[in-house]
Amino acid sequence: MTPETQQHGVVRRVIATPRFFLAIVIIALVIFFGSVKPAFFSGPFVIAPLLTSVAIFTVVGLAQMMVLSIGHMNLAVGQMASFGAMFMGMSYDLWKLPLLVGLGIGLVAGAAVGGLSGWLVARTGVNSFIVTLAMSFALIGLVPTAYSALATGSAFIAKPSGLDVIGRDSFASFCFAGYCGPNAIPIIVVPAIVVMLIVGYLYARTRLGRELLMTGSNVKAATLSGIPTGRRIVLAHALSGLLAALAGFFLASSTGSFTPGIGDEFMLQSFVGPILGGTLLAGGYISVSGTFLGIVLTLLIRKGLDLFGVGIETLNVLLGLILIIALSTDRIRLLARRRSVKRVQQTDALLIEGNPL
Amino acid sequence: MRRKDLLHSVTVTVAVAAALALGLAGCTKAPSSASGAGSTSLASIKVALVPGGPHPYFQPWIQAGADAKKDFGLGGMTFNETAAWDQSKQNDVINTLAANGYNAFGVFGVSPTDINTTFKTLKSSGFAVGSLASCPAGATDDADFCLSTDVETAAYKAGKATIEAMGGSGVLVHLTGNNVDSNTQRRIAGVKKAVAETNGKVTELPDVTDIDTDLTTAQRAVADLLAAKGGTITGIVSTAYNPAVAAATAVKQSGLNIKLVAIDDDPTILAAIKDGSVYATVAQNPVGQAYVGSFVLGQLGSKKCTMKTPGVTVDSGSFIVTKANVTTYDTERQATTKKLKSEFENTLLNCK
Repeated sequence: MTPETQQHGVVRRVIATPRFFLAIVIIALVIFFGSVKPAFFSGPFVIAPLLTSVAIFTVVGLAQMMVLSIGHMNLAVGQMASFGAMFMGMSYDLWKLPLLVGLGIGLVAGAAVGGLSGWLVARTGVNSFIVTLAMSFALIGLVPTAYSALATGSAFIAKPSGLDVIGRDSFASFCFAGYCGPNAIPIIVVPAIVVMLIVGYLYARTRLGRELLMTGSNVKAATLSGIPTGRRIVLAHALSGLLAALAGFFLASSTGSFTPGIGDEFMLQSFVGPILGGTLLAGGYISVSGTFLGIVLTLLIRKGLDLFGVGIETLNVLLGLILIIALSTDRIRLLARRRSVKRVQQTDALLIEGNPL
Repeated sequence: MRRKDLLHSVTVTVAVAAALALGLAGCTKAPSSASGAGSTSLASIKVALVPGGPHPYFQPWIQAGADAKKDFGLGGMTFNETAAWDQSKQNDVINTLAANGYNAFGVFGVSPTDINTTFKTLKSSGFAVGSLASCPAGATDDADFCLSTDVETAAYKAGKATIEAMGGSGVLVHLTGNNVDSNTQRRIAGVKKAVAETNGKVTELPDVTDIDTDLTTAQRAVADLLAAKGGTITGIVSTAYNPAVAAATAVKQSGLNIKLVAIDDDPTILAAIKDGSVYATVAQNPVGQAYVGSFVLGQLGSKKCTMKTPGVTVDSGSFIVTKANVTTYDTERQATTKKLKSEFENTLLNCK
């Protein structure tokens, strides 16, 4: 194969991915919203809040993607966020711990509750849908009860030093020689990018990541290949819980306090991002960048409609319609590609049949 | 996907996104310490009234806002209820309105413990901010003012009225909204205070919370409650809108001798008061909140006035409505709205 053919192959492969399609739609929407509503490019009031939401929900999407990689799902992703965030709030409010120590405690709590779900799935063989649904109900009861018992006004409001910097500040807070960073880029994007790179590295460069994907592709084959699938299932759920707790932390730092309501809005987005981005519900195939782009698309649509002052009912209808169109167009594109491949194969077969040699 | 491709694509996406964001953003000049404090005309003030989400309570804000715009010569007025009871969505809505040129905000914060952070951000951008219909939790209010029903006092009044209707003794149940909302905790405290004053003559069943999401949820909860304990309950006090409407209908249909005190002045509740199936309701003053709130926001936004005490809390009033005053209570409420406006003009604002 010549380098030119190889290059064409790579280009064709990139164009064929859902990520490319999402990127095109996102760029088109940015151009459309920006040209019709110049306020769209307002740094502090549109771009920065949008990037903050993207950072939070990308981590939520990655939390779901962790379990999707093994062919499972986590319906308790929002409640795990709330559970982990509650421990962080307790660490800051009741135990007066510093930012990173409290964060660590909350992440361990999130990972523990996620790991428990994974252990139940692996030990009992009950579908993850059922186990995580049950877990979400248990946490829906437990978390508000704990808040009522431990927090004044059902919220932990103590703010350790640095919490506001992560959740509310932008690079405009960092000044040098009379010039400050852009006010359109919030600080929160930095930890979110680090998380994306770590998760990407896990799946792309480590044996553990490959074992998770193989468990998702075919659990029996993975077990026969010597992969400890039970432990991998526990690990995937624990990492999902950990990332959910981290997203809870991001949300609390951006809104201002730790409340039982954290994570209420996570479930739908956690699925929409990865699935729009090409992650398979059946497991074995994930896309970190696709999850990011899927989240960007949905939040961008919402922001654009907000800018146009669309009412709540119309907003929900339009959001649903646009997502259906986005998903269907992607499916149509995939079917068209399959049909063209089939046609090429048929042409090749005819040529071979017609060959006298 | 091949592993090398995966990491490559993550890195490329992150790099492209970062470059795009940086390109759009650019650097900013450090803010100078001098502030431009010259007053502007009221016509340059665009007021946004932002409830926590869709709820019948806020519907009078639309007309009250439009009246305020006309009466006070404001430059613009909008009502946006797309926050959907989520604080981060409400922050998004407020930011979008600011990007669209709105420069004065009357906000019902979804999360009383978080809303101060939002107020602080708005204030730092030089906007006038009023906390309407709900004040932030805790002693600090980072908005310019809070114009709201004193929810604990209103719940206490409702509790007292119910106990009075019950003849001073019996079994009371309290129906209310979102348990994790600190305002709900204040309402619970108000009703408990009224019960405690009976020295044990009135016992209270566990509070029924989280049933104000919609009317169907409230109807189901009230039906379950009456089916299980309808025979023992002698009084119901509802401090949330949907449970009040649901209870008014259910108590009437069941024929049980339960004294009900509701909240707000929905037509169903007012009709039930007239026919005697509901003893009383505690009406609030949403019109006063939006009308007077918009007036104050206009004065503050145009820099004609400042608050004498920033973050001051003002009770917008609560009114016990019984069969005796069901046709006249609105006059009392309109008088309160007028009084509130004069209170701001004469006592609370410092004008040039």
